[in-house]
Amino acid sequence: MTDPMISFNIASWPPGLIMILAAFAVPWIPHVARQIWMLAAIALSAFGLATGAGVHAVWQVMGLELVLYRADHLTFPFALIFHIAAALNVIYSWHDRKWSEHTASLSYAGAAIAAVHAGDLITLFIWWEATAVTSVFLILAAGTDRAQRAAMRYLLFQVLSGVLLLAGAAVIASHGGTISFDSMSFGGPDALGVWLVFFAFGIKAAFPFLNGWLQDAYPEATATGTVALSAFTTKLAIYALARGFAGTDMLIWIGAAMTALPVFFAVIENDLRRVLAFSLNNQLGFMVVAVGIGSELALNGAVAHAFVHILYKALLFMSMGAVLYQVGTIKASALGGLYRQMPFTMVCCMIGAMSISAFPLFSGFVAKSLTMSALGDTGIVWAYMVLLFASAGVLEHSGIKIPYFAFFAHPSRHKTGEAPIGMRVAMGIAALLCVGIGVFPKPLYAILPYAVDYHPYDVSHVTGQLQLLIFAMLAFIFLVRMKWYPPEIPSTVLNSDWFYRSLVPRLGRPVVSAMVGVWGSFLRMLIWYRDMGWAVIDRVMHAPISGPTVPGRAVMVQALLLSLLLLLGYLLLG
Amino acid sequence: MDERKTALQRLGSQFTMGLLALALLLVVLEFILHRHGEVAAEDFPLFPALFGFAAFLFIVQVGKWLRMMIMRDEDYYND
Repeated sequence: MTDPMISFNIASWPPGLIMILAAFAVPWIPHVARQIWMLAAIALSAFGLATGAGVHAVWQVMGLELVLYRADHLTFPFALIFHIAAALNVIYSWHDRKWSEHTASLSYAGAAIAAVHAGDLITLFIWWEATAVTSVFLILAAGTDRAQRAAMRYLLFQVLSGVLLLAGAAVIASHGGTISFDSMSFGGPDALGVWLVFFAFGIKAAFPFLNGWLQDAYPEATATGTVALSAFTTKLAIYALARGFAGTDMLIWIGAAMTALPVFFAVIENDLRRVLAFSLNNQLGFMVVAVGIGSELALNGAVAHAFVHILYKALLFMSMGAVLYQVGTIKASALGGLYRQMPFTMVCCMIGAMSISAFPLFSGFVAKSLTMSALGDTGIVWAYMVLLFASAGVLEHSGIKIPYFAFFAHPSRHKTGEAPIGMRVAMGIAALLCVGIGVFPKPLYAILPYAVDYHPYDVSHVTGQLQLLIFAMLAFIFLVRMKWYPPEIPSTVLNSDWFYRSLVPRLGRPVVSAMVGVWGSFLRMLIWYRDMGWAVIDRVMHAPISGPTVPGRAVMVQALLLSLLLLLGYLLLG
Repeated sequence: MDERKTALQRLGSQFTMGLLALALLLVVLEFILHRHGEVAAEDFPLFPALFGFAAFLFIVQVGKWLRMMIMRDEDYYND
């Protein structure tokens, strides 16, 4: 039997748990000291990672063996980048004096980190749901009615994902399968359970048509909240897919669709943080394709992409958060020309934009090349072309549209300046990491799941990628000069959330009103029978059969009941 | 306002010139260096350049069509 309890040795505590515990104290610690407390908690949790690979905490409960802390070559890169993202988030929100959001984001990050170290489906479920209930407060914190409604829709989908995961685990266990969280296959007798788990992951990974919650909710959170949201939930799903479904062919199709479809929506979206949410979806597609390929090179690609993506996506969301914080809006139609007022934010945004577009010497390039090479190796040319196309799409919405409409496009209509110092420091660190990893990819490659002998900086990769990017940028300039580039229009772009925000209510309302109608007429019928009953009694009272004595209503009812009882007795005995 | 507008325009022109110079350099390099693609089609001279240019135009054009179909008022969902 395995050592039954979690000991008080800090090294065997599941990483992240300490952050969740520390979050409970956050409301009672004054500002600034609170930020240091949170950084200390994150550092302590990260220190736990030094324990290394292996199973470090198992809990025997109700006949189940819950693996609370499993570390290996796949968990480490995710755990590391989650800690970095959590720390960046604390620095970015340094100016925020309210405790509520800090509590939410620290416990959210902790839950995501704990989830990565879950060695079985039940433990995974617990932390999976914990990320949902902690992160929803980041959306609620925006304080608007609109955010509140978006938060409820978000929570509904996140909890649904958790429930599917639990149901899947239950089905798998009922077929005598193990609940330990490892590679799963659709072939066995527990296929239903595996499908349920797959869908649970698919919701959080924002598969096509399951993605509405992402673009719906993320842009409604606070300036700081969206940065935290962008890092954890979806990348936890990528980790889960890489753990459970590496090499599942279907993921190549799904991932390719994810890279391509959001591109078109991002072109016409006016809310720049929503553009980034579409872009996030497109990036997840690259990772999902890589997981679907499942080769060592491809899984390295998926993990490397998740790692660098968290940094540059956070950087982009931070820069847009800074603009939102300073200007009060993030609508492209109301922005432009901020390069003079917010030059530092602009430079950081450009670095994020060049990283996500995978310019050589920036972090996206060294990660995406792995996936593209792995895809090239498979010989699935159509998927390769779709991803190449999507790369031009990334450049369009994240590389060009975001910085162009925020910082250039028109002369600025706002009087404003640079963001608070904390925001700038966090952006600066993220930007440095983006460039650092791009120039020196070795340390990143060293922590990937499989040994890497890969050199992204060869003539073919560099010139090929530069051709794609530079000529796509020329196409943009051509369109702008010809005035053919679609203008920014204040608008709502319909997405897959339309089905449940508009279609279902519209179809549902007639159904509900019909049901209410039927129920109403049933009630009316009951009332009619009751009234009839009383009418009969009243009639008998006013025209008594037995003589001039007028009995009361109560007596009449008693008499009726007794008669019924008598009748029943006869029937039963007779 | 006008001064800031011309400053932006100047910035735009400089950027365009720089980009054109880079593009020219890449075209020249394409015929000097030996570039290899991941898939066979990529080995076609200037394939990434042509693909990038065309993809960009296509994305924007589809975006315009998409606007006709799925663009609604800002308060479409009444919140």
